[in-house]
Amino acid sequence: MLNLYRICYKKVGPMRYISHLDLLRTMERGSRRARLPLAFTQGFNPHPRISFAAPLPVGVQGEDEYMDLELESPMQAPVLVERLNTCLPYGLEILEAREVKGAAPSLMGMVEQATYAAVTIRPADINEKSLISSIKAFMEQQEVIIDKKTKKGTKAKDIRPGIVKLSGDSKEDRLFIYMTLKTGSRENVRPEEVLRALVKGYLPLNVEEFRITRTGLYAAGERTLFAEF
Amino acid sequence: MEQLLERILATVEKPSRYVGGEWNSISKKWDQAEVKMAFAFPDVYEVGMSHLGMQILYKVVNDRPDALMERVFAPWVDMEEKMRAAGLPLFSLESRRPLAEFDVVGFTLQYEMSFTNILNMLDMAGIPMRSSDRKGDNPLVIAGGPCGFNPEPLAPFIDAFVLGEGEEVINAVLDVYLAQKQQQCSRRDTLSALAGVEGIYVPAFYQFEYKQDGTVKEFKSDSHVPPVVKKRVVVDVNDVPFPTRPIVPHTDVVHDRMMLEVMRGCTRGCRFCQAGTIYRPVREKDPENLLAQAEELVRSTGWDEISLTSLSSSDYSGISEVIGGLVDRYSSERINVALPSLRADAFSVELAKEVQRVRRSSLTFAPEAGTQRLRDVINKGVTEENLMEAVTSAFKAGWSSVKLYFMIGLPSETEADLEGIVSLARRVLEAGRNISRSKGRLRVTVSASSFVPKSHTPFQWEPQDSLIELQEKQRFLKQRIKGKGLTFNWHEGQVSMLEADLARGNRDLAPVLERAWALGCRFDGWSECFDFSKWEKAFECFGIKPGDYALRRYSHEDVLPWDHLDAGVSKKYLTLEHKRALDGVPTVDCRGGKCPGCGICPSLEINTQLVGGKSVEPVQDLL
Ligand code: SF4
Repeated sequence: MLNLYRICYKKVGPMRYISHLDLLRTMERGSRRARLPLAFTQGFNPHPRISFAAPLPVGVQGEDEYMDLELESPMQAPVLVERLNTCLPYGLEILEAREVKGAAPSLMGMVEQATYAAVTIRPADINEKSLISSIKAFMEQQEVIIDKKTKKGTKAKDIRPGIVKLSGDSKEDRLFIYMTLKTGSRENVRPEEVLRALVKGYLPLNVEEFRITRTGLYAAGERTLFAEF
Repeated sequence: MEQLLERILATVEKPSRYVGGEWNSISKKWDQAEVKMAFAFPDVYEVGMSHLGMQILYKVVNDRPDALMERVFAPWVDMEEKMRAAGLPLFSLESRRPLAEFDVVGFTLQYEMSFTNILNMLDMAGIPMRSSDRKGDNPLVIAGGPCGFNPEPLAPFIDAFVLGEGEEVINAVLDVYLAQKQQQCSRRDTLSALAGVEGIYVPAFYQFEYKQDGTVKEFKSDSHVPPVVKKRVVVDVNDVPFPTRPIVPHTDVVHDRMMLEVMRGCTRGCRFCQAGTIYRPVREKDPENLLAQAEELVRSTGWDEISLTSLSSSDYSGISEVIGGLVDRYSSERINVALPSLRADAFSVELAKEVQRVRRSSLTFAPEAGTQRLRDVINKGVTEENLMEAVTSAFKAGWSSVKLYFMIGLPSETEADLEGIVSLARRVLEAGRNISRSKGRLRVTVSASSFVPKSHTPFQWEPQDSLIELQEKQRFLKQRIKGKGLTFNWHEGQVSMLEADLARGNRDLAPVLERAWALGCRFDGWSECFDFSKWEKAFECFGIKPGDYALRRYSHEDVLPWDHLDAGVSKKYLTLEHKRALDGVPTVDCRGGKCPGCGICPSLEINTQLVGGKSVEPVQDLL
C-alpha cells in the first residue's frame, strides 16, 4: 500500500527567495518537525520520497504549487495539512492535501502549463490601451528569439511556441501582465524570459522591477493537478 | 527601503542570504526591548550560520525579556556593490533595521582574515570606523572570539573586547549598558564601567609604546582599569543555556546539521594550538544532559544529522554512551550522527563505524607532522602505529578514502620531516591497496597547511617560515605526493603569512588594515577575493612589509603585544613548554589524572569537569 499524498501549497513572502533545493530541504525538515512518518528511498543515501511539479525560479512566488509526499503509514489528509502547517516557516503554507489512490501519473509527468501574473508600477506614458496593443503586436511575431545562457556560453532559443497566452491590464498605478506558459516540457519558458523579450522594443519597462507570481499549474487540457483522482 | 531591497534581491546571487525568516529565528518587538544588540558575523551567511557561538548568544540574549538580538552577516561582493549603489545601509536580517540603530553591535573574531570585513561592515553601516570618532548615539561596538586574545591590530576600531566564553560575559555587558543608559552616562563612562567587568578589555584605556621589533617598550594602563585582563569561562557546562532551538537555515550552509557540544576545552596540549589554551580547562557535559538536549534539537529543527562537536570529540569520556544512545533512538528516523574531530587511533575508527552505518564519506586524521621527532616537538600524542592501526581498520571497515592533515613550517622542521609526510602517505596508500575491497576508489588526500604562530601558545615566540621556504616545502611535497590514489592540497602561503602578521601584530597594524580596506580588500580568506598586491601596498604605505611580524622571533624576556591579556595559562608554563618542545620532550594530558601545571585551574579558580563528577587535582604552583 502506497501512502501517497498530493499537496498544494503556497511559497510567498521571504520564501520566494529560496531555491528549489532549499525548498526540498525545508519541506523535509518541516515534515520531520511535524513527525510525519516519511517514506525513504532505498540505498546508501536514503532520502525522503518528496517530488515536485515544477521548480519555481528564485524570486518568483507561487500561490498554487504542488508536491507529492509519500508516507510509511497512512494519515488523514486534513491532519497532515494541519500538522505540517504548524511546522513550516512563514511564507510556506499547505493549502490542501489529497490522498493519491491507484496509479496516478507523476506530478512532473502531468504538469504542462503554468500561469503567471507580473506586476509593476505603471509609468505615465503607458496606459491600458497601449499596453494591450503592445502585447498584441508582440504575440503576432512568428518567433521570439532570446539568448539563453548555457554552460558553454549563450544559445539562441525561440520562446514563442511556449507562450500560450499573454494579456495585460492596469489598475490604479499598477500594471499587470498575465502569462500562460508551457512548463516542464521541452518548450518550457520562464516568465522572466517573456518579460525580457517584451520590454525589448514593445514595452519600455524594467524587468527587475516586476514582481512575479505563479498563479497556477495545470495538466494537459488545463486540468488541475488534482484531476486524476 | 523595502522596495529598494526587493529590487536588489532580484539581482544578486543567493538572495536567501539576506532575507531571514528561517525556522526558529526570533523577531522580537523592537520597541519593547530596552537594549538591542546585533550579532555581526564578518563573513558570508553560510559561514556565519555554521557557528555554534552565534546560536548560543542568540539564545542567551533573546531569552532576556529586556533585550533582543538580531543577526547581520557580511554581504557578498555583489550585494555590497548593489547596496552601496542604492544607498542602502547594512541592515539586520530579522527586522531589516540599519545596524546603526542598534545599541550594541557585537562582532565575532574567528579568523584574522575577516578583519577587513569588520571595517567594511562598520563602513556600510555608517558607523564611524574608529572608536574615538564615535559619539553618544552610535552603537557600542564590541568583539570577542579566539582572535580576541590578540586583538591589538583592531584596537582602535573596537570599543570593548570580550575575553573568553561569551555566554558568561554577555549578560554582564548588557546589564552595565542598561544601567548606564538609565543614568544617561557618557560614552566614556560606559566604557569605564565595562572595563570593570571581568573579561572585558577596553583598549582605549591602555597605551603602548613599541620597540623596533614590535614588542612592547612601555605599557601604561589607566588607573581605574586592571593592568591585566583575565578571560572568563563557564564553570559548570551542564548549567548553562544551550541552544536546543537553533535557527535552521533554508540554504545550504557549511555545517548544515544539529550541533551538540559535548565538552569545552581540550587538554592534549598541542603546542601550536591556540584553541587548546584559550578554551582550557576541559569541561565535559553529562551524557544524560546531552541526550536530553539531542531530543529537543531533533524535535525543534528537523535536521537529519547530529554532530558531536568539541575540539576533540573522541576524547570525551562519555562518547560511547552518547553515540550508543543516539544511534538507538534516532537511526529508525534516519538521523545520522557525525563526529567531526577524530583522533588518529583505532578507538576513534570504532566510533566512526558505529555512527556511519548508513553513509560512507571519507575519514580524516590529523597527524600534523611527518616524523615522531617532530610530533614530539609539537606534543601531538599520535604515533605512526596509532595512525596505521586507524587507517587499517578504516579500510577494513569499508572506507576507501582517507584524508591526512599536516602542517608545514613547524619549528625545527627539516627535510626529513617532509620526507616523513611523503612516506606516511605512501604507507597509508599501501595499506589501502592491501586491505581495501574497492581498490578503484582508493584515495589518500594529504592536506598541508602552513604553521601560523599564535599568541598564548608555546610557539608564540617562534617565527613563521618565509614565503619562499613555505613554497619550496610545498613544491617538495607536490613533486612526491602524486600518482594513482594520491592527492595533495595546500594553502596559499601569502594568506598564512598575513594571518601570522595579524595574529602576532600590534596596534601599528591598525592603519595598515584600514588602508588595505580602503584599497578594496574584502573576504581575504576567500581565494577569489584575496589580492596580495593590495596588502603589499597597504603595508608599504607605513614603511613595513607583509611578513614583518610573522617572521620575527621574540625572546622569552620580551613583553609581547598581548601580554596584558591573560588566557589563564601562565606565561611561565608556556615558556617551559616552549623549551620542552625544542628538546623534543612531550607533556602529559591532565585528563589522565596528572596535572602538568598549566596554571589555569588555580588562576581562574576553576576545575576540570569530567563525566561522573570526576575532576583532576591541579598543581597549585609548579614553577
Ligand atoms: S591546571 Fe592542571 S588540571 Fe587544570 S587544566 Fe591546567 S594542566 Fe589541567
